[in-house]
Amino acid sequence: MSLNNLILITCRTINQGVALEGGKNTKENVRAAGICAFDSEDFKKLDCLVGTPVKVITDHGEVIVYSTISEEGPHPGIIFIPMGPWANQVVNPDSQACGTPTYKGMKAGVEVIQSGKVLDAVGLISLLKEA
Amino acid sequence: MAEIKLKLKKEYEFPLEADTITPDAFAGKSAADIKKLTVYHGNEEKTIGDFFDVTGEGGELNEIKIIVDGNLSNVKRIGEKMSGGEIIINDNVGMHVGNNMSGGKILVNGSADDWAGAMLKGGELEITGDAGHYVGAAYRGNWKGMQNGLIKVKGKIGDEALTWVNGSKPAKRFPTLICGAAGSFLGIHSHGGTIIVEGDCDRCIGADQVRGTIVVKGKVARILPSYKKLGEVEEIELMNGDIIKGKFTEYSGDHSVEKNHSKIDKKTGEISNSSNGRLFVAA
Amino acid sequence: MVAKKIRTVTDVICPFCGTLCDDLEVDIDIKEEKVIEVRNGCQIGTKKYFASNPSDHRYDKPLIKEKGSFKEVSWDEAIDKAANILIKAKRPLLYGFSSTECEAQGKGVELAEILGSILDNTASVCHGPSLLAIQDVGAPTSTLGEYKNRADLIIFWGSNPVHAHPRHLSRYSDFIRGYFRKDGRNDRFIVVVDPRNTHTAQIADIHVQINPSEDYELINAIRAILRGVEIDADEISGVPIEKVKELVETMKSCNFGVIFFGMGLTQTLSHHRNIDAAICLVRELNDHTKFLLTPMRGHYNVAGANQVFSWQTGYSYSIDFSRGYPRYNPGEFSSVDVLMRDEIDASLIVASDPASNFPAASVKNMFKYPLIVIEPHHTPTSVNADIILPPAIAGIECEGTAYRMDSVPLRLRKVKEAPGECLTDKEILEKLIEAVKKKKGE
Repeated sequence: MSLNNLILITCRTINQGVALEGGKNTKENVRAAGICAFDSEDFKKLDCLVGTPVKVITDHGEVIVYSTISEEGPHPGIIFIPMGPWANQVVNPDSQACGTPTYKGMKAGVEVIQSGKVLDAVGLISLLKEA
Repeated sequence: MAEIKLKLKKEYEFPLEADTITPDAFAGKSAADIKKLTVYHGNEEKTIGDFFDVTGEGGELNEIKIIVDGNLSNVKRIGEKMSGGEIIINDNVGMHVGNNMSGGKILVNGSADDWAGAMLKGGELEITGDAGHYVGAAYRGNWKGMQNGLIKVKGKIGDEALTWVNGSKPAKRFPTLICGAAGSFLGIHSHGGTIIVEGDCDRCIGADQVRGTIVVKGKVARILPSYKKLGEVEEIELMNGDIIKGKFTEYSGDHSVEKNHSKIDKKTGEISNSSNGRLFVAA
Repeated sequence: MVAKKIRTVTDVICPFCGTLCDDLEVDIDIKEEKVIEVRNGCQIGTKKYFASNPSDHRYDKPLIKEKGSFKEVSWDEAIDKAANILIKAKRPLLYGFSSTECEAQGKGVELAEILGSILDNTASVCHGPSLLAIQDVGAPTSTLGEYKNRADLIIFWGSNPVHAHPRHLSRYSDFIRGYFRKDGRNDRFIVVVDPRNTHTAQIADIHVQINPSEDYELINAIRAILRGVEIDADEISGVPIEKVKELVETMKSCNFGVIFFGMGLTQTLSHHRNIDAAICLVRELNDHTKFLLTPMRGHYNVAGANQVFSWQTGYSYSIDFSRGYPRYNPGEFSSVDVLMRDEIDASLIVASDPASNFPAASVKNMFKYPLIVIEPHHTPTSVNADIILPPAIAGIECEGTAYRMDSVPLRLRKVKEAPGECLTDKEILEKLIEAVKKKKGE
């Protein structure tokens, strides 16, 4: 299943903070920041179990992350990825000439994937090196 | 007419800062002298001769016509602080073209990057393509942006054009921007600018406008809540006395900004718009 | 007498977020020189102390990448190679500095000037827009102690301190009892403006749920209502007009109000214009009552980086030394923009992880060119670097000065020795400066 016309927001979570201090190449970091939190009603439409990998697609890229239900809902139409390497695959790098990229408020679509897996931080970023 | 031709002969790896390509710097110089003028490439000091073929000779300032050819999309600061003469750029040009110019004319036959005509003090900048963000804007922290002159952009401009523009009727300074379409925050903190948009605009136009006129002949994505609708007009008189005809809806604002000559009567709530900011959107 | 096995250091300043908590107690195992207990810290700060212990995530020797794998080398060799890369570069980028102490930041400025490089700190991806707005319209602000003792209206706009500044609420803004706020939380009114019902919003008195990226319109409407303008709209940015009016009344009727704002304002579409409007709002609120605002700075010393850069170059971030003197223009010289335009040809990253924090397209361009990192831990940046210079962690393994989010300088403490051959950031940068100067024949 898939969802379109969502708005993607990225920001801090305490788990992501703990994980980034605790070691960026750990599994803990993937579980903390390699996730996408949905509004519970939106999540029902996806018709999958919590933890199923989903692909988040914006105009600026795509990334595979684990799905989860937001503790900070309800926020229908908004999806949320903690800041970090996963979120940065899909954020808008344009700063409108003010220096700061637009990390919040991208239009996004989500689809449940059949194949593919969530990479760890180092694996994900190192792809950029090889490319 | 002293015509000087510059043709890019060598590719540049880093932005080339060519603030010496101005009639002021070329005045009275031979081609050989012009070749010796400094340009900056990365953190190295180079000369115009390293990157450009130069033909012609500089005469008197107002007689000079500079024609620049080649891929100039990352050549910055052409025409910086020029006070007379003419520059014709036959390609897309990099940032800061014609910033701080006080006289003369620049014609860009292509698109310009950000900060085109920033802090203009006079003269005319014409761009036949699009322009980036901060067209005619004030540099960071400046409270007086464009103070006079005219910027014409045929295509679309980016965000935050003409920030802190500062015009004055008594002093006969009428900073004016005419463009095909515009991004968001057009004319933010305007103090007496004139902006005419032939097409559509993004959101938040005229934010914090204290004085000034904005005319949009197309659509506006969202008008700020602090703008008050006044009614329909058939004719608009601009600050410099020019008249624009057509059916427009008139708004006054920005009413969120504090003015020393407050136009809202605290008792009656009535708004006088005699010298307030004005926004006209095609009806 | 039994020999002491544990050394306890008290009043330690936590080097994690801009709150700079100054009441941590750290127990160190004397024999192994390891952190074994941290008291009073938040989850994240505590983790940072434990992560400083030697582990396979921590570098303790200089490394150089050769044929795809890292090789341990001497400091002299690593510094020599790094200096060669930096000298050869025509447009190097020096980035980071926000998670190290002020003395090292000063050395960073010196190195940037010698190299003629671009110098930037992490403000360029977080609170840079706040600085831009402050340069445009000023900022009525104060120290956190004032808020603690006086504030009865706290507005968190686009910030979520429960997650990002975990002890901010209990130390300065919410639960803490102050001189004039004797009953702590009960004496304060908390408002949260956020598109999500964040955990901070869940403990607030009012949550204003706003549409994403439409903060500017709401602030604009509040300012207009404050000036007595009738607004003919039913809702603004998704907030019913009655609720906006109620919020204005709340703001006007408080004794001492404060807006803490975060990434929700700076990283959305309007960037610095949001802050610009918020500052103007606070300025106008001072016609009615006392009102101030403070940015919620992320990295513990990003405020310090702005201070140091400002007093040494005149500008707080996004500085270009390519013409020998400092010039400033975010958007032109800011890291992400120069990387997006593929303008640099080498980079030195100090105490930061841009590969994780920059948009992917810009990281791709950064990896194309030689990359030197001064970084204690394995990060996506360091793993892809060419030279790794391992530092002692400032605030844990070396002393220094750091600026809190309200620009109050505090002295960081050293609680333990650094593992292996680690040097402090300042010493590493000094070595680099010396090597660069020597090679340039100065």
